[in-house]
Amino acid sequence: MRINGRSIGIAAYLLALFLPIYWLLNMSFKTNGEIMSRLSLWPHHISFANYGHIFGDPVWYLGFLHSLTYVLLNTVISVTVALPAAYAFSRYRFIGDKHLFFWLLSNLMAPPAVYAMPFFNFYYSIGLFDTVWAVALAHCLFNVPLAVWILEGFISGVPREIDETAALDGYSFPRFFVKIFLPLIGNGIGVAAFFCFMFSWVEQLLATTLTTVNAKPIAAVMTRVYSAAGMDWGLLAAAGVLTMIPGAIVIWFVRNHIAKGFALGRV
Amino acid sequence: MDITRRDAIKAAAAVGVTGSGILINSRPSHAQQVDAAKKWVDSEFQPSTLSKDEQMSEMEWFIKAAKPFVGMKVNCVSEILNIHEYESKTLTKAFGEITGIQVNHDLMDEGLLVDKIEVEMQSGRPIYDFWMNDSDFIGTHPRYKDIVGGSLTDFMAADGKDVTSPTLDLKDFIGLSFGTFTDGKLYQLPDQQFANLYWFRHDWFNRADLKAQFKQKFGYELGVPVNWSAYEDIAEFFTNDVKNIDGVRVYGHMDYGKKDPSLGWRFTDAWLSMAGGGDRGLPNGRPVDEWGIRMEDGRPRGSSISRGGDANGPAAVYALTKFVEWLKKYAPPEAAGMDFLEAGPVPGQGHIAQQIFWYTTFSESMTKPGSQVMNADGTPKWRMAPSPHGAYWKEGQKLGYQDTGCWTMLKYADPQRVKAGWLYAQFCTSKSVTLKKAVLTQHLIRESDVQSQAMTDLAPKLGGLVEFYRSPARKNWTPTGVNVPDYGKMAQVWWQNVSNAIAGSVTPQQAMDGLARDQDAIMARIERSGVQGDLGPKMNPIMTPEYWYKKSAADGNLAPQRKLANEKPQGQTIAYEELLKSWAPGQPAPDANKG
Repeated sequence: MRINGRSIGIAAYLLALFLPIYWLLNMSFKTNGEIMSRLSLWPHHISFANYGHIFGDPVWYLGFLHSLTYVLLNTVISVTVALPAAYAFSRYRFIGDKHLFFWLLSNLMAPPAVYAMPFFNFYYSIGLFDTVWAVALAHCLFNVPLAVWILEGFISGVPREIDETAALDGYSFPRFFVKIFLPLIGNGIGVAAFFCFMFSWVEQLLATTLTTVNAKPIAAVMTRVYSAAGMDWGLLAAAGVLTMIPGAIVIWFVRNHIAKGFALGRV
Repeated sequence: MDITRRDAIKAAAAVGVTGSGILINSRPSHAQQVDAAKKWVDSEFQPSTLSKDEQMSEMEWFIKAAKPFVGMKVNCVSEILNIHEYESKTLTKAFGEITGIQVNHDLMDEGLLVDKIEVEMQSGRPIYDFWMNDSDFIGTHPRYKDIVGGSLTDFMAADGKDVTSPTLDLKDFIGLSFGTFTDGKLYQLPDQQFANLYWFRHDWFNRADLKAQFKQKFGYELGVPVNWSAYEDIAEFFTNDVKNIDGVRVYGHMDYGKKDPSLGWRFTDAWLSMAGGGDRGLPNGRPVDEWGIRMEDGRPRGSSISRGGDANGPAAVYALTKFVEWLKKYAPPEAAGMDFLEAGPVPGQGHIAQQIFWYTTFSESMTKPGSQVMNADGTPKWRMAPSPHGAYWKEGQKLGYQDTGCWTMLKYADPQRVKAGWLYAQFCTSKSVTLKKAVLTQHLIRESDVQSQAMTDLAPKLGGLVEFYRSPARKNWTPTGVNVPDYGKMAQVWWQNVSNAIAGSVTPQQAMDGLARDQDAIMARIERSGVQGDLGPKMNPIMTPEYWYKKSAADGNLAPQRKLANEKPQGQTIAYEELLKSWAPGQPAPDANKG
């Protein structure tokens, strides 16, 4: 194999990219004593205690479960709600359509902190406080506009003639939408779902404000590593590694869709 | 085999009956509860200052008082500390088996906890049934009138009478004044307590070569610094003269300076009181406390010097000036980028000679076998002692920080759940369990535990902690007091202003002026809103500093103090062993070494 400047450059780039991830993984197998005492490139006394702690303590593993549950719920709700809306914005002209479209988008610009107290009061009143539903629905405020925005682009890329041909062929609208239209914008759905997943997975403020005991997200559980007696670096690293896994899995499944999404210029 | 509908119904009925039988039987009998109590007393709650019989009768009271709440599940939360880990894992289990009340004792980082309690206070909707909340909020809760029954004292006398233990023995709590408001009533019950003390390498300070070298340069003995001048000299000595010990680069000072909320704690947790800001008086200065807030007739009147406060007075500016100077000149270079949690374990790594302000919470991690700062025989190489005082400090002022995490019963939760919670709170602070908790975690809350044989036995391993708690000196260490009308809002402005001075973008005077202005603005807003009624802030009119200097002198008070001509008087130190002798009750303070 010929080594040229280009491959060295790519190798250096990949190394720089993977170094933080490797470091996190490396730390997660160390004891706090080793982390604090010296700089070692690999764990000299390999320890699974940090992972054992997470999988052995219900507070920790339930934290992961709660987060995954509301993220999945939110992704399904957001994409399901956004699909007809995006179709309407793409296919129909009505008064104020453009304004409404941009107004929806403006929801993304407000920081979640603004909504923390109103959402808290609202979900408390309707008995959803401290449930995964509260977080899943609260995240819709940000994810539905995002999904509409992404899907509208993909839908507009599908020629109207297809809708009309299907109508002429006697397809009812729901049947056309499910059988013909959805497969055509599969990439867009994958991309929208991916972005909804990622936002909901990393969002902390609403998730921690709207839950306490029964739906505590992993982000809140992770604050357990900070204490007045010091910080549990190894446990934090292990939790960090585990938090990256769902995102990595989702990226693996939608990687082709994302590539096409970028190619179509909507992402 | 054919299964008919009738069979299915029969089977379902059988399962139902058995199920409800199990449910009924899941309520423990009195005998089972007593057996459980006996098991826990024998196997876990030792040592205790009570005899086993006394412990059992205390447990019998809990069993009886908990009868109406058997089967109830309640939720509480506290910050993450080893003592609360123990409560959350072990005491909830014991309490559940003994009383039949299941407690979910949640743990989270203090910042998140304060956010959550603020949401509950603002919305009036219960998030947890009861809380572990620092006594720093003692100026806040009474003013928002959010404690169940009005105050804990009132609750115990009225609604909570049937669930208040006859063996609670309030007078035995060493931090009771921290949870007491100006009306003399108790609002929060201490569960966990720690102090911020001076920390130093006793082994290095006793080395003959270093002692001689220090005396030759500074003209007095190397020892525990009594004032900031001596602390500064020792810091200079180790960082710039000694430099290396056993091949390791050493430093004479450790602190942290990252722009982060924990930077505010450095100051609100009494950096200013050590310097000499505020007035005489315990647990907090009167009329001006260490936050620089003046209070008259129970109402905060302002914190800037123009309103009679001391937040931007010469003492406060001196405090911040020294903080920045020492951090830059004497601490390891990386300290300026660290926060509280990152900096805390650093002295345990073995290259720090002294730290002016060190949390005793870290003592457990520093006494672990194999640590760099431990001897082979299990005794520490370090000791803790009272922090030195700054040039403005006068006898009678508080000197440092001591914090109590307190059980806080807010009025928003269901009253029955609060009552069940109050039982658990008392269980965690009962004489049956507190000594065991103290031995495991080094958090002392009861005088009887402080004086116990178990603590005497443990003392050589704890580097002066037990001696400190047995000394009269411990009363000079107190938390944030009653003058602060809204801790959550006001603590925010400290780190924001202080960090500007550390970054060098403003002078210490400008930073403290900004802090005083921000604190006054918050208090003025509370005054305008009227939410705190006749206990809330009532701002003083703006007058010249000269007016306030004269007034405090005429009233016989300290704050605000005029700028001193010499802010670096002669350094004074004291030998650690002499200091210990002075801690015996009734002893006059020994003469310090002077130049």
